[in-house]
Amino acid sequence: MELLQYTLRKLIAGIPLIFGVTFISFLLMVYFGPDKTYDLLGKNPTEQQIAEIRSELGYDQPFVARYFNYVTELATLNFGRSESTGEKVSDLLARTIPVSLALVTPGFVLGNLFGVLLALFAASRRGSWVDKTIMGCSAVGMSISFLIAIIAFQLVFSSSYGLGWFPVRGWNIHSPLDYLRYVTVPTLATVFVALGYNTRFYRAVIVEELSRDHVRTAKAFGVSPAKILSVHVLKNCAIPIITRVVFSIPFIVISGSLLLETYFGIPGVGKVAFDAITTGNQPVLKAVVGLTAVLFVLAQILTDILYRVADPRVSLN
Amino acid sequence: MAMWRFIGTVTLSSLLLACSASDDAGNSHAAVNDKKVFRYAMGGSPTSLDPVQSGNAYANVIVSNVFDTLYNYKYLARPPELKPGLAEAMPEVSDDGLVYTIPLKQGVLFADDPAFPGGKGREVTAADFVYSIKRHFDPATRPQGAWLWQDRIKGLDEWKAAGSDYSAEIAGLRAVDPYTVRIELTRPYPQLLYTLAMGFSAVVPAEAVETYGREFGIRPVGSGAFRLESFNTAKAVLLPNSNYRDEPFNLIEEGYDPATQAYTRVAELEGRSPPFLDRLEIDFIQEGSALWSSFTKGDEVQMASLPDEQVEFVLDSTRPVILKPEFAEKYQLATGPEAGFVYSNFNLDFPEMGYNPDPERNARNKALRCAVIRSFDWPARNDSFYMGLGQVFPGVIPPGVPEFDEAMPRDSVTRDVAYAKQLLADNGWTPDNLPTLTYGTVAGVKSRLFFEQFRAFLKDIGYPSEKVVLKRYATFGDIVRAWSRSELPFVSKGWGLDYPDAENTLQLFYGPNASPGSNDANYANPKYDALFEQAATMAPSDERTAIYRQMNQMLVDDCVAVTGLTRMRITLWHNNVIAVPDSSIVGGGFLRYVDVD
Repeated sequence: MELLQYTLRKLIAGIPLIFGVTFISFLLMVYFGPDKTYDLLGKNPTEQQIAEIRSELGYDQPFVARYFNYVTELATLNFGRSESTGEKVSDLLARTIPVSLALVTPGFVLGNLFGVLLALFAASRRGSWVDKTIMGCSAVGMSISFLIAIIAFQLVFSSSYGLGWFPVRGWNIHSPLDYLRYVTVPTLATVFVALGYNTRFYRAVIVEELSRDHVRTAKAFGVSPAKILSVHVLKNCAIPIITRVVFSIPFIVISGSLLLETYFGIPGVGKVAFDAITTGNQPVLKAVVGLTAVLFVLAQILTDILYRVADPRVSLN
Repeated sequence: MAMWRFIGTVTLSSLLLACSASDDAGNSHAAVNDKKVFRYAMGGSPTSLDPVQSGNAYANVIVSNVFDTLYNYKYLARPPELKPGLAEAMPEVSDDGLVYTIPLKQGVLFADDPAFPGGKGREVTAADFVYSIKRHFDPATRPQGAWLWQDRIKGLDEWKAAGSDYSAEIAGLRAVDPYTVRIELTRPYPQLLYTLAMGFSAVVPAEAVETYGREFGIRPVGSGAFRLESFNTAKAVLLPNSNYRDEPFNLIEEGYDPATQAYTRVAELEGRSPPFLDRLEIDFIQEGSALWSSFTKGDEVQMASLPDEQVEFVLDSTRPVILKPEFAEKYQLATGPEAGFVYSNFNLDFPEMGYNPDPERNARNKALRCAVIRSFDWPARNDSFYMGLGQVFPGVIPPGVPEFDEAMPRDSVTRDVAYAKQLLADNGWTPDNLPTLTYGTVAGVKSRLFFEQFRAFLKDIGYPSEKVVLKRYATFGDIVRAWSRSELPFVSKGWGLDYPDAENTLQLFYGPNASPGSNDANYANPKYDALFEQAATMAPSDERTAIYRQMNQMLVDDCVAVTGLTRMRITLWHNNVIAVPDSSIVGGGFLRYVDVD
């Protein structure tokens, strides 16, 4: 009951946030975003044709009316149709979001998991050559751009100049084996880049936890290092880990990964969102921005609930 | 333990999600091994496959394979020549050139689709063609091709003004009977047949348009050689249209030239009816490294343009274009100029460098423009950005059209710094009084490099670098808006030919086409306009070519544009593919004739 009340309270409190985000983003879209009119026009347009397209796009309506329509669309989850393809935005997102999720989830999970494990390993040997090596490698991983990592991994694992074990491009998945063939190289690239950031972040959290009194006491009582790390440290680090992980989820769900999708020819939501931004495809853009705002509110609620699970002392009140 | 349970759950969920979120592109490789699959790569992706919105070259490639047009370009003829497509024969044209009577082939069927009763494609009739052209004059379809027929077909503009009622007849666009189209023009339009070979004029069934509404752009239904199986941001998959008519391939009729085309093995297709493939996959790949990796993989992309960054790695020589032996063993190659060109023009609406009410300043402005043109180093531009493969030419009639004049003086594309400096000095231009030249471009590394090179050229003639400024636009749509609104004093762009007739490029400077039309130079020369109007109604002839060339010279003399360069396309394909790639002017029509061993 307490949980339900808390969730409802937070949802209500999130409404102004959603209004704020949608209003500002819509303002930017309308006054500073690309004008789709000129993307849709033919080669030798007349003033009349320009006016017709603007009218078709609803650009001739007052700002307030357009914003009201947007809020209505968000409330009903009916964002109309893509101005580029004519496809229903809901169908477009339903088709592409699962692809992006399937593409980035393994990299996200493994990147965080290995990040925590390496951070535990490094922090427990703070100052040793192991720690320095892991941190050095993390810095290297952070220094290499995602784009370079993608090209390098594609070259090494997929191309005929390298091992050629995996497809260069495509997403024809009909079995778990197909999935592994197509997702492995993008996942390796993702993990390679994410690992540096994650390891450094988690190590900092763990090092701080290791210096706390209860850890020193446990050591004094002769508790094994493995038990100290897994029971006394990791559990107490759960809150910053949860925060980092849960707040990354909205980006993963909506943004996908543009670079992975374009280089590996994967039809996810990242490319759809990018095209919408660069061409001023407002129905898609409105859906992406609006849903991201909603997901952030939900992520915030989920984070608070998980705090409570991780640490019963945390009050939902 | 709990952690491993979590990992297991996530892994299993991902696998399930992935399997349910599979690309509906169809079969896995294993399943298609015994079928003829061809993968072709394009450097960009289409957005809509509705013919009324097929303005971009990428959309046109798919549209020309899914739909039929009344006329097509012959597969092998170079330069391009028209042949009947959906039409039974070339049209019967009245003596005054105003009435075209076009017979249609009988028994041609649309591809099977749920939009038709029983899911069976019905016969294509003249009424379908009339309906398809009408759609360009219905604002609700957001058409891009109306400019081709606007003010040219009797009653069409009035039909639109009256509310685009599809049940209303149009005097100049009629289905005389199910197999005869009659087009009546307001004035002779010699380019009409070319427009009937463009994707814009592709024939669509009203039932499918009504069934799918705006989604017709992703669920196109036509009578072309292929039908669309799936389409997304990464690729399009096409399967043969089982209803496609039986039209045996005829080498002679297609314009076969054994001297230049024998190596392609296209002669092996003689007598067979296209399409020859079981599956056509078109990948949209913008990234050169990914394209090259996929092309050289062996079981992925089989035909693609050579990415710029691989030119030195792959070619032994660029003049002539020759592959290195290790690549020549595995791949075939074809080169050819693109159907279009790149150029920059001054916007003469700006009195600082364009038309000025003061006659003296007007003359000085012209001298300034001429100096800028003579400062431009085309060979350097060609070497820096086009691997030296581009073809530089004076004026705006590019090599891809029959009216191209190889003998035209090349002064306007020959750099002469001393002459340019003298021009400036003779006309009173000094570094202090030179106007600021704003160069607009879409934000990007290559665009920036273009600008910096241009600024360096100008610096050599004494144009202060701080007076050559860059104005960046976030998207192509934004810069098109600036061109259309005449907001940019200097416009740098490319033009893709819609048909092989110089009228298509000369109209870029025709007065009535001023902004927001395609004349974004806002060139206004009554003599030029009069010649354009005179030539516009003339059939191809030496006399018309002479007029075109006279207009071309006017543009050079008036120093309107820094022009031009036609880029060279290098296409590579695997040895097991039988194909002759075509340039963008004919869309992707060649794909219906591709075969693989």
